[in-house]
Amino acid sequence: MNKPAPTQQKKTLEKNATLSREERKKQLEFQNEAVVHLHSLYNYALHITMNPDDAEDLVQETYLKAYRFFNSFERGTNCKAWLFKILKNNYINRFRKDSKEPGKVDYDLIKDFYHSIKDTRNDTTEADSDYFHSLLHEEVYQALHSLPEEFREVIQLCDIEGFTYEEIANMVDSPIGTVRSRLYRGRKLLRVQLEGYAQKHGFNTDDNQ
Amino acid sequence: MDCTKASVLMSAAVDGELSFSEEEHFLSHLSECKECSGEFDDAKKTKMIIKEKIIRFKAPQALIDSIMQLTNFDTRETEETRLYD
Repeated sequence: MNKPAPTQQKKTLEKNATLSREERKKQLEFQNEAVVHLHSLYNYALHITMNPDDAEDLVQETYLKAYRFFNSFERGTNCKAWLFKILKNNYINRFRKDSKEPGKVDYDLIKDFYHSIKDTRNDTTEADSDYFHSLLHEEVYQALHSLPEEFREVIQLCDIEGFTYEEIANMVDSPIGTVRSRLYRGRKLLRVQLEGYAQKHGFNTDDNQ
Repeated sequence: MDCTKASVLMSAAVDGELSFSEEEHFLSHLSECKECSGEFDDAKKTKMIIKEKIIRFKAPQALIDSIMQLTNFDTRETEETRLYD
């Protein structure tokens, strides 16, 4: 994100005498530590709400809360993981209590999202017999969303967001052993779904090449 | 190590979360067991598919702007954020 140049920053500081030095320090640190994860949070919010407006609200709320409680963020730990945990709690408090049905996949929405994306299936340069390359983005998305939430969640946090098992365990309030086994079972379920799509494209996935 | 034990370590092996000695035992089992070895390859492939095929969207500019206001050095905007203090 845009960090003001030192000279410019100094000038602004002098101008805003009303703003305490502490508050300015907090803002700068917040930009560097927290705001840089905005796109990740938005993507995760989209995945769990399946609705762009809800996702925006959720991210906004998360940052407001994060800023307010930034002093309680343990310096030196993963700020992204801290933000995700806040986002998840917000989601549970806000959306689960609403009349909204959780976990309902809106396939029209997925189509809108993926509609304009040019798929690489037909123009991949690699000569491959692997079903991996036959899969469309939309199919992988649908396969992921067909999983029970407890499996989908850990796969997203691990494979897409790159969190460690320890961070995931903390986020989902479960022991690391549970994270391990959910990932194991979730990936197995996912593979069945993906192979189903691959077979539709004419790939024999039983082959162990 | 038997197949049951190997399956417990499978996901952690895929994600590089095994300790050094766990990894040693796990890999030595794979070298003797075709089934577990195939499953390990499949699990790695599944992870790669998710990583590569799930599309990342950019957050809308309006959202970026409103988050940036939180930490903006502009006095007017900063006073707004104080409402939430």
